[in-house]
Amino acid sequence: MTSILAILRESWLSLRAEWLFKGVMGLNVLVIVAYASIGFDANGISLFYGLTHIESEFIYAGSPMSRTLYLGIYSAFIVNMWLAWAASILALISTSSIFPSFLSAGAVELVVSRPTRRSTIFFVKYAGGLLFVVLQVSVFTLGAFLAAGWRVDAWDPAIFLAIPIITLFYSYLFCVNVLVGVITRSTLIALLATLLFWFSSFSVRTADDIMSQFSYRLDATVERTEARVAELDEETSEAEAAGDELDAEDAAHWAVGPQAAMDRARKAQSQLAPWAAIISGVRTVLPETARTLGLLHRALERNTDTTLMDLMSGAAFDDEDEPPRKLSEEEEAQARHMEKEEEIPAWSIILKSLVFEAVILIVALIIFRRRDF
Amino acid sequence: MSHVIELTDVHKTFGRKVLALRGVSMHVDQGQIFCLLGPNGAGKSTLVKILMTVIHASRLSGTMLGHPIGHKPTLRRVGYLPEHHRFPPYMTAEQALHYYGGLSHIRRPERVRRIAEKLDLVGMTAWRSHKVGTFSKGMQQRLGLAQALLADPELLLLDEPTDGVDPVGRREIRDLLHHLRREGRTILINSHILAELESICDQLAVVVKGRVAMEGTLEELTCGGLRWVVQWRGADVDSLAFEVEREGDLRTVSLPNASDEDVQAVIDAVRGAGGIVTSVQEFRESLEDLFMRALKDADDLDGAVPGAVQGKVSKAT
Ligand SMILES: Nc1ncnc2c1ncn2[C@@H]1O[C@H](COP(=O)(O)OP(=O)(O)OP(=O)(O)O)[C@@H](O)[C@H]1O
Ligand SMILES: [Mg+2]
Repeated sequence: MTSILAILRESWLSLRAEWLFKGVMGLNVLVIVAYASIGFDANGISLFYGLTHIESEFIYAGSPMSRTLYLGIYSAFIVNMWLAWAASILALISTSSIFPSFLSAGAVELVVSRPTRRSTIFFVKYAGGLLFVVLQVSVFTLGAFLAAGWRVDAWDPAIFLAIPIITLFYSYLFCVNVLVGVITRSTLIALLATLLFWFSSFSVRTADDIMSQFSYRLDATVERTEARVAELDEETSEAEAAGDELDAEDAAHWAVGPQAAMDRARKAQSQLAPWAAIISGVRTVLPETARTLGLLHRALERNTDTTLMDLMSGAAFDDEDEPPRKLSEEEEAQARHMEKEEEIPAWSIILKSLVFEAVILIVALIIFRRRDF
Repeated sequence: MSHVIELTDVHKTFGRKVLALRGVSMHVDQGQIFCLLGPNGAGKSTLVKILMTVIHASRLSGTMLGHPIGHKPTLRRVGYLPEHHRFPPYMTAEQALHYYGGLSHIRRPERVRRIAEKLDLVGMTAWRSHKVGTFSKGMQQRLGLAQALLADPELLLLDEPTDGVDPVGRREIRDLLHHLRREGRTILINSHILAELESICDQLAVVVKGRVAMEGTLEELTCGGLRWVVQWRGADVDSLAFEVEREGDLRTVSLPNASDEDVQAVIDAVRGAGGIVTSVQEFRESLEDLFMRALKDADDLDGAVPGAVQGKVSKAT
């Protein structure tokens, strides 16, 4: 216990000494100040603490849409762009040096020559690296919680879920960072390798998403054309039965187009299948960075029926009485994809990613334990 | 006398080719100051690091303080000053000592007391709340020593402790080591400054190319190298069986391994020839002479070339 506290304290001191840590903290505060600058009054939205004003008949103080907008900005922009991208890159830059400098010649001898086991040192040091993110995100979410409470009376504790979720997300990247850091003892290589890893898992994920949307579209095409062909086939046979040759010919003629479209879609499906399988196979091995972040969105949007997406696409402003607009094939595929994504249980997303993290950490630990300094 | 460190046949090969240790066997007795000597790259630091679990030996059998080497809890009783150590620069002297003390499982109240005590001992109290990054080399070395002493260890392993320390500091360190020995602690020192070790060394081993070339107490090792030097003015004495050095009027003769009677005979001969004896002195072989002798004796390889032996690992035992 004494040694665990000593290592954690050392991590804290090293963070405090780092100007990037303070810089990111400052930026966090800045983002919150900007977020809190958006407000609502009786007839619209006020920006920059009332400096400018946008009139709106739907979005005003107390309207449900103002709430959707305000919380939506948090979950779609602030979490996605600031916490998950900019702040994470800055965190990576500043935590990439943790293991390499800890393992640098002259420093590491003083630590591994202690009665404390190397594995304890390793894990506590790892936790110390995550401390960076925990502290940053804690300060940030507290700010966001207060802003949302003040502006739209949300007081939603789900905002604090960002602390574990962002930390989890970050840990998927940090474990790679640590592994490379332990192997190379170089901050720069560790940082670059982690960014590369992040980028490639991002690409794999995007490719997989595109693939699955595409295959939903093909499914829809097949379904639609199948129905149409069946319909026309029936018409043909009905006309034949009635002895109406001309009508039967007509119907058969009309069926040629859909039939061809169906065949094309089927062919595409079978061509796509192996690639889709490979990509989703690769994705299975990688940690679920995006889906983990998605959990935060799920939590934040759990009890609003309109989302920021609806607001932006205009769906939220549609008249209730009007029949819902017919979705295009593409929109349908997207909706289906989203639906499927939401069906994935949280535990499986987290568990799968943690398995990846555990494997990477075990490899790093084995290398660290065996290493001569 | 019990052996505090007992090593038999320690081997360490880095990668496939660097044979840093090639079968080191030695023992260190309780309450002794043991000096580990050897040219650059002989494997001294490697040996100490193996004792401290910083490096894993390729082959090893041995004990330290009664436990097999690698037994982590034993390290609580051992203080270690690594060669070229670097403290985290963002810590103050006091914070650094708290950090290392904590890693050695010393509880906080105990730590607070000892840190004050050890900082005082190495003369760094005035700098306790300054950042380590701003310290001079010698100051860092003093802090390193405080760090090694923090747990009041029974055994101290010091890898070049006086590296970068000023003459006053060196003397203080020497006095400190004497003091620690009087308290019954055992100290193992790696150093190149032979003149400095001469006055404190009880036991020594000279490591050359990963092997112990010479081992024993300073007494044992140097009494073989005892010699008398007789100087006189005036007459040449032709009857002496030794080579005489002439420098103006002054004659000097060196008598290696001579008994007292041999010396009397020389004096008689000189006086008989009319010479005036100006000095008769007994010289022990210096540590430097000893070191050079060990290098020369390590016959199989050129001991004076720095670095470990490079070659294929032989599986033969
Ligand atoms: N971590 C390491 N990896 C690879 N080779 C190493 C490592 N540490 C030491 N060596 C090699 O082992 C040999 C012995 O090195 P060591 O540091 O033990 O020498 P030394 O006797 O302490 O020398 P010096 O007097 O210069 O400090 C050297 O040839 C060195 O290159
Ligand atoms: Mg050395």
